[in-house]
Amino acid sequence: MSAVTQRLARQLVLVPVVAVASYFLMAALPLTTETDAKRQVSKELAASYQRDLGIGEPLGFLRPWEKLFRGERLGTSAQGITGDELLLKLSGSVGVGLMALPLALAWALGFALLRTRWRKGRWAALGDAVPAVAFGTPVFIPALLLAPAVVERGNMLPELCAALVTSVWPGIFLGTLVGDSLETELSRDYVRTALGKGLAQGTVLRRHVLPNVWPALLDAVGPVATSLLAGSFAAERVFGLPYFGQLYVLAVLNKQVAVVVVATTTFASLLVIVSLAVEVLRYVVDPRSREATA
Amino acid sequence: MSRIPPRARFGLVLLVGLGLLSLVAGRLFPEVLSSTCPLGMDPTRPDRTVCELAFGGLWVSLAVGLAAGALSTLIGLTVAAVARLSGGTVEQLLLRAVDAVFALPDVLVVMVLQLAGQSLSDAGQVGGLGPFGLMVASLALVGWAGPARMFRNRLATLEAQEYVAAARALGGSGAHLLRVHLWPALRPFALAVFLSRLPAAILTESTVSFFGIARMEPMSLGRYLGTSYAALIYEGGGRVVLPAWALLVLLVLGASLASQALSAAPRRPA
Repeated sequence: MSAVTQRLARQLVLVPVVAVASYFLMAALPLTTETDAKRQVSKELAASYQRDLGIGEPLGFLRPWEKLFRGERLGTSAQGITGDELLLKLSGSVGVGLMALPLALAWALGFALLRTRWRKGRWAALGDAVPAVAFGTPVFIPALLLAPAVVERGNMLPELCAALVTSVWPGIFLGTLVGDSLETELSRDYVRTALGKGLAQGTVLRRHVLPNVWPALLDAVGPVATSLLAGSFAAERVFGLPYFGQLYVLAVLNKQVAVVVVATTTFASLLVIVSLAVEVLRYVVDPRSREATA
Repeated sequence: MSRIPPRARFGLVLLVGLGLLSLVAGRLFPEVLSSTCPLGMDPTRPDRTVCELAFGGLWVSLAVGLAAGALSTLIGLTVAAVARLSGGTVEQLLLRAVDAVFALPDVLVVMVLQLAGQSLSDAGQVGGLGPFGLMVASLALVGWAGPARMFRNRLATLEAQEYVAAARALGGSGAHLLRVHLWPALRPFALAVFLSRLPAAILTESTVSFFGIARMEPMSLGRYLGTSYAALIYEGGGRVVLPAWALLVLLVLGASLASQALSAAPRRPA
């Protein structure tokens, strides 16, 4: 159990590290504008910026968080945001991600089955080409192709399409991984022995093979969660969804540094929560993980 | 050349072919492209054809990918070498730093680094690093963790070989082992790692540019699509999007095939 705790602690440390690193990176930046003519910003704006970030104050790095928890607006203009709005936007993005997850699993299952079938025939090269095409397709490209048909329809169709385009690459990635792992396990001696002793194929798969495939699937969940959440940023922009991705991109474009600090840390926290859930799940389903930590 | 697996050779030929095509069509003879482009003019830039913008973008995307891939591979290799040479606490600390960088999504971090770099650039504090250099530096700063982890693991495996143990027993220092015995065995792997970083860097750059955060001129493929995506959606989007997509896919396909085949290639017998 101590090794699991150690891994969990390592993940948790990431949140304050991201919070402090992003704060000091932002606080160290000179306050300027893009054009030479406007390079000298007004004293009022500079003061507002410094107040917003708590620059020059002891424990100033806590300032954005204090404002957030007091329900004050983060940011130096009307594009700022309160904690409640941040949570609302985050829940929108997580919702798109959650819709994308079953779609990704469906892609994964379909591709793993097709790949196994292709491997034996003349379509074998497709098994390598499809992942490359999926990987080489940034989320915004299928989104741009779908957008004219759905962008003004509403009724959750843009959200569903955002989930669909976001799920393609993670699904194919999972399918490749699970397909390879399944094929390796099916060729092992213990499977032949179990079949030789008269067990049905479904039983062998459920009782013997799948428990050995689970760890490979769990290893991929972290990168897949990151892809789903990061991918939803581009899809939200194209489909005009006013969620976390839009908020983050606009905060960066408008140099709303306090919003960037809080949003980056929130995003890192979300990924840490996913990692923690994966670690716990691994501990439950993978006996080797329990034995290693006993 | 005969030792290179056929898939890797196909991938490398595809990459070099695309590079030459973008150089010739996009940079050296753009006027030929503008007069023969079957896809017509760009809907948002009526003075340029779709072919000119796509091949010009391909050249920039490829240049960014090559530079960022090379830089992140170099940083990863240096970090891995320092970790293995130092060992103990330093190695553990470096591995934790690698874990931390690895856990964050590339696109987000590159966006923050672009914001930081542009603020410094506006204040004249980046020492002549233009938008291209800024993008390459940002991509390298987020991309070194993967290569560092791969190189560190490969070095640990190589160090367990008998010839390395023999060299160490004969008094070879860590730096000597690295330079004379480990580096020659690591070279093909380094090429595979570099090629695996190439598509990742190109795609991250495309996405960040699509958001309109990078200021690169001439435009990369991502920036080309991102500068006027609303117009693309409503004014013949497919005519503009499909060629850029095809070029991006071919680029990634070439780099992925070459990288996978090289990293899986059997080692030459001694």
